[in-house]
Amino acid sequence: MTPLQTAPEWTAAAPAIILAVTGLALLLIDTIDPDTSSNGLLAGLSTLGSLAAGGVAGWFLTQGTGMESSGGAITLYGDALVIDGMSLFFTLIFTSVAAMVSVASYDYLAGRRYQGEFYSLVMFAATGMTLMAMSNSLATVFVSLELASLPSYALVAFLKKNRGSIEAGLKYFLIGALSSAVFAFGISLVYAVTGTLLLPEIAANLSVSSDLVGVLGLGVLMIAGGFAFKTASVPFHFWAPEAYEGAPAPVSAFLSSASKAAGFAVAFRVFTVAFPLGPVTSLNGGGVDWSLLFAVLAVVTMTLGNFAAATQENVKRMLAYSSIGHAGYALIGLAAITTDGGAANGHVLGASMAHLLVYGFMNTGAFLFIAMVEKWGLGRTFADYNGIASKAPIAATAMTVFMFSLAGLPPFGGFLSKYFLFLSAIESGFWWLAAVGAVNSALSLFYYSRVVKAMWIEEPSEPLEIGSQPVGLYVAVIFAAVGTVLLLPGFRPVIETAQTVAAALF
Amino acid sequence: MVPPQYYLVLSAAIFCIGIFGLLTRRNALLFLMSVELMLNAANINLVAFSYYWGNVTGQTFGLFVLALAAAEVAVGIGIILTLYRNFDDVDVMNATTMRW
Repeated sequence: MTPLQTAPEWTAAAPAIILAVTGLALLLIDTIDPDTSSNGLLAGLSTLGSLAAGGVAGWFLTQGTGMESSGGAITLYGDALVIDGMSLFFTLIFTSVAAMVSVASYDYLAGRRYQGEFYSLVMFAATGMTLMAMSNSLATVFVSLELASLPSYALVAFLKKNRGSIEAGLKYFLIGALSSAVFAFGISLVYAVTGTLLLPEIAANLSVSSDLVGVLGLGVLMIAGGFAFKTASVPFHFWAPEAYEGAPAPVSAFLSSASKAAGFAVAFRVFTVAFPLGPVTSLNGGGVDWSLLFAVLAVVTMTLGNFAAATQENVKRMLAYSSIGHAGYALIGLAAITTDGGAANGHVLGASMAHLLVYGFMNTGAFLFIAMVEKWGLGRTFADYNGIASKAPIAATAMTVFMFSLAGLPPFGGFLSKYFLFLSAIESGFWWLAAVGAVNSALSLFYYSRVVKAMWIEEPSEPLEIGSQPVGLYVAVIFAAVGTVLLLPGFRPVIETAQTVAAALF
Repeated sequence: MVPPQYYLVLSAAIFCIGIFGLLTRRNALLFLMSVELMLNAANINLVAFSYYWGNVTGQTFGLFVLALAAAEVAVGIGIILTLYRNFDDVDVMNATTMRW
């Protein structure tokens, strides 16, 4: 018996508990001494909390907590939470993004008010995301989704006197409130048909004959709509460009990486566990072929995201649309699941999870580079980026790594994750999804390379003035760049872990 | 006993009224009220089918939905207040500094 197997069961939720306690501690420090609490202490504490939660999740993952090797998934609180390999894998994504964002916020928040609130909101949102990945009941899915969303609304509107930030917060909030209402109604319809909210029991009760089976299909569609909002996929993607552009850049980084991954975590679990493809499609009169639905959404999402990104002049907005495009790639994980897929289902879902991990590093890094440019007071368009490399070569090199990795060029992590994603889609028989993805990746190279060209080749129209060298932002950006590069040689353990834990869902 | 289908019709009607209000009103506060209608439509379903199935899962979840709706309004009102301070209006169509 290892020490982990003798520990009480509730300790399996330690990553979420650590994040929540960190958030509360930040609030406490800020309450005791609101005027003089130091930015460094707050940033350090929230970074430490995220790293500790991530470290525990990584330790659990290597020890096999909640996996086949040590007795299967651990369920807590009347099966409402489940800790298995998948929830721990996603926890790693959320906590690493939260750590990078906390470090970067140290510089971004310098001289601003309400620092304690900012860090604690980030921690509470991260808690919500971790709980989303652990949810095993539609009730906890809804509550944790709101726990992740409500702090995010406040964070987007954090710059109270900046019109762009308020507008972004308003739009994010309005569409978020709408989609959570649709989501709640979908849950109530599923409950009406199955009489339970626990995911495995929903699957078991699907076959119970009922007069209301047509209602179930509608409920499943509405739940899919809720996930489309959280992952910024078509048709609920409208908020994303506005929210990412207007929000403080570290918040954009947090939302577009961690929040999107959280949406996928919960969508993967709900659709594979509660609505397994075979029984759901074969219901008389109420069947929904959600794999086909997600295939259509994946194609539309990646095409729309990439084409819209190609037309942008504003770098932050370009990244926002590219993040919609990447939601389309990750959707392949759900779209390529087939009734008789067997091992191929686990492969494609795992590849999608591994892509989200790599995306967590490269996309967070790209948005944090934008935060650095905002800190320097340069403009937001491509032309304003002209010649940055001559003044800040290290940061520009990191940004180049992120851009080429996002585009999926070979020497970086983004290449392998996309390669495995498309390969496993072909393995499942969805060669056309892989083809659309590959064409879109090629197109994306156009707008990603524009940033690189502006930074390294173009001459600035007027001499660049770069004031300070923000230490925290540099640390976070370089950490993200090193992560992106190291994920190339280190991709084998990542993809193997992801595919193993994904296979456990089927 | 009223057949459960009737509750579905009632809740669907309230949900649609909410959607209609949301699409036609430009005042942010009325938008919030419309969302509230949609959430309460979900609550009607939860409570009615909690009785139908003979378990309290639905009723309990209904309480959670109520609490979350209140929390959502609290954050929403805060954002709408800052909207009013920045744009001198709570019309959701006025806040258009960003365009694609």
